[in-house]
Amino acid sequence: MLLTDLQIAARNLVNHTRRNAILAAAVATVTALLVVLGGVTAGIRAAMFESATALLTGHVNVGGFFKITSGSGAALVSDFEKVLADARRVVPEIRFAVVRGRGYAKAISETQSVDQVLFGIDVRSEPVFREVVHLSAGRLDDLSQPGTVLLFEEQARQLGVHVGDALTLSAPTTRGVSNTVDVRVVAIASNVGILSSGTAFLPSETLRQLYQLKRSTTGAIMLYLEDPAAARRVAARLRGALASAGWRVMDADPRPYWEKLAGVKSEDWVGQKLDVTTWEDELSWLMWILKALQGLAGLLIGVLTVIVIVGILNTLAIAIRERTQEIGTLRAIGMQRTRVLWLFLLEAALLGTTGTIAGALAGAGISGLLNVAGIPMPEAAQTILMQRYLTLSVSFGTAAGSAAVIAAVTTFAALYPAWYAARLLPVTAMHHVG
Amino acid sequence: MGTIVSAANVSKDYKLGKTEVRALRGVSLDVHRGEFLAIAGPSGSGKTTLLNLIGCVDTPTSGTVNIDGRDTRSLSERALTDLRLHKIGFIFQTFNLVPVLTLYQNVEFPLLLQGGLGRAERRKRIEGLLEAVGLLDHARHRPSELSGGQRQRVAVARALVTRPPLVLADEPTANLDSLTGSNVIDLMREMNRRKGTTFVFSTHDPKVMSHASAVVRIADGLIVGREELNDIVAASGT
Ligand SMILES: Nc1ncnc2c1ncn2[C@@H]1O[C@H](COP(=O)(O)OP(=O)(O)OP(=O)(O)O)[C@@H](O)[C@H]1O
Ligand SMILES: [Mg+2]
Repeated sequence: MLLTDLQIAARNLVNHTRRNAILAAAVATVTALLVVLGGVTAGIRAAMFESATALLTGHVNVGGFFKITSGSGAALVSDFEKVLADARRVVPEIRFAVVRGRGYAKAISETQSVDQVLFGIDVRSEPVFREVVHLSAGRLDDLSQPGTVLLFEEQARQLGVHVGDALTLSAPTTRGVSNTVDVRVVAIASNVGILSSGTAFLPSETLRQLYQLKRSTTGAIMLYLEDPAAARRVAARLRGALASAGWRVMDADPRPYWEKLAGVKSEDWVGQKLDVTTWEDELSWLMWILKALQGLAGLLIGVLTVIVIVGILNTLAIAIRERTQEIGTLRAIGMQRTRVLWLFLLEAALLGTTGTIAGALAGAGISGLLNVAGIPMPEAAQTILMQRYLTLSVSFGTAAGSAAVIAAVTTFAALYPAWYAARLLPVTAMHHVG
Repeated sequence: MGTIVSAANVSKDYKLGKTEVRALRGVSLDVHRGEFLAIAGPSGSGKTTLLNLIGCVDTPTSGTVNIDGRDTRSLSERALTDLRLHKIGFIFQTFNLVPVLTLYQNVEFPLLLQGGLGRAERRKRIEGLLEAVGLLDHARHRPSELSGGQRQRVAVARALVTRPPLVLADEPTANLDSLTGSNVIDLMREMNRRKGTTFVFSTHDPKVMSHASAVVRIADGLIVGREELNDIVAASGT
């Protein structure tokens, strides 16, 4: 029975060649559009994730706070090598780990002063940092020399400095006294959207010097996993493991470390506490962009889908109305209404499936071509989107999802006009004109 | 010998804008099993309308139509559809073939709907009928590639393929030359004789009428006469 129906539906499809080709092409176009649009948003997400995890946070971070007195506090991890060793023991999924200092200082040039978030890095042991940072002047390797700094174009412009110029960094140490170091600008990097605004990188050693810290102290251990999606699970496990290894570990708190600092300062304890966070925690302040972006894409996709549904409904309604006579004949010969409906549903499903599969493949192909073409993003868009070149990321899941939605819409769009025609008296349907 | 069709005081009005066309104005007609009944009348007299009502593809404005002893008004849409599929073969005046299907597929369609017959059995039956109407060579063609007369013969084959007890034929020879016309009549006649199939057909053609067991004359929506011509030959099939 099903085989017969499939056969009949397929015959109809094959024999109404031109109309079905047009319909299938429309369905395919829409699917392709959805896939490409989905690819753009996913690409932006991916770019944001990649840049942010290279610049600001690991997939999982072991940071923490050190309090000399109960009224003070700094975002530090003392004895970090022991912490890292413990972490490695319980997290075999670690792909690599980097150790970074964290700080906040005033950068003073001859003409200007600007507040800067500072990261102390060992540039030679940073695998992904190099992939995300694109220099417009200077050399990245020079950042391994003490007393150097990497700025992004925005701050370099604000400070009025070039490669080779000197800056003074000024910050209060953990003991509350102000300290300064002189640094030389060795590299200026292209902005990475809002991720790089107000951010500078300098050698870990120089940052320790500014804060007068021991070699065994750092800001945070950033862990990069084989599967970033596992971050939350790994963080939970690590939190427990570090606690049982004797460390004092703070409860999970989905905020970036600098938002927690004020709270920690007012807490009544001294010494070291570790704080395990995920990239989502550290980037929670950024999520509005992703949300806005997704909202926008959602709106666009929504509007598009509505237009498509109306379009497909309309086209199918016309196509099926044109076949009212045929439906009348089928009914007159003895085909039940439900069978007519089922037949048209099947036909639309076949059409929809073929169209959407073709469309999804085309969409993936177009996305690939766009990626290869390397279309530069406008300056203004870069701030938010953190992409220098338009990069689409099409996953099988989203492409299949889009295809399924459109195929379903196409299928059910056939329901009403087919039901309408099947409801008529056979003789009325047979004499239907137009 | 029972009646297979019994129409009692059947009227059918069509509304055309403000005017009402009274296509049938109180028609009563009994058709006995095994009859080979002709309905004759001028154009516009209501022949097609009457056949449509008997064939359960249309509903009367008033009056009752009984098919096989069942009042069609009391039947659900589903039951009526089943009745059309299993009890009635209909040759429409306008043929009404399914345009996207080949001749073979058109004739096969009612069999597929009925189910039950295997592919080989279907094939034997379909090819036998196509052969009988002289269209076996055209089995893979579409209706649009055929002449009116050829389409009419496909419609005949499609109506007969399920071997229904009742066949309604609306001017089945109207588009045929006298030779093919009489071939079609012979085919119907043979089925009538061999299987006891009841035929009700409309026609203008006196030669066709001469084969009938009876001729019912209709004019202006009313039955104006009935002549018994030949004996009902097929008593065996019932
Ligand atoms: N769908 C319809 N709408 C309006 N009027 C109709 C409709 N069908 C038939 N009629 C009218 O009903 C009357 C009977 O029509 P019918 O088709 O039954 O005649 P007929 O005897 O079959 O004629 P012909 O020999 O030309 O086929 C005619 O006056 C026709 O105009
Ligand atoms: Mg007629």
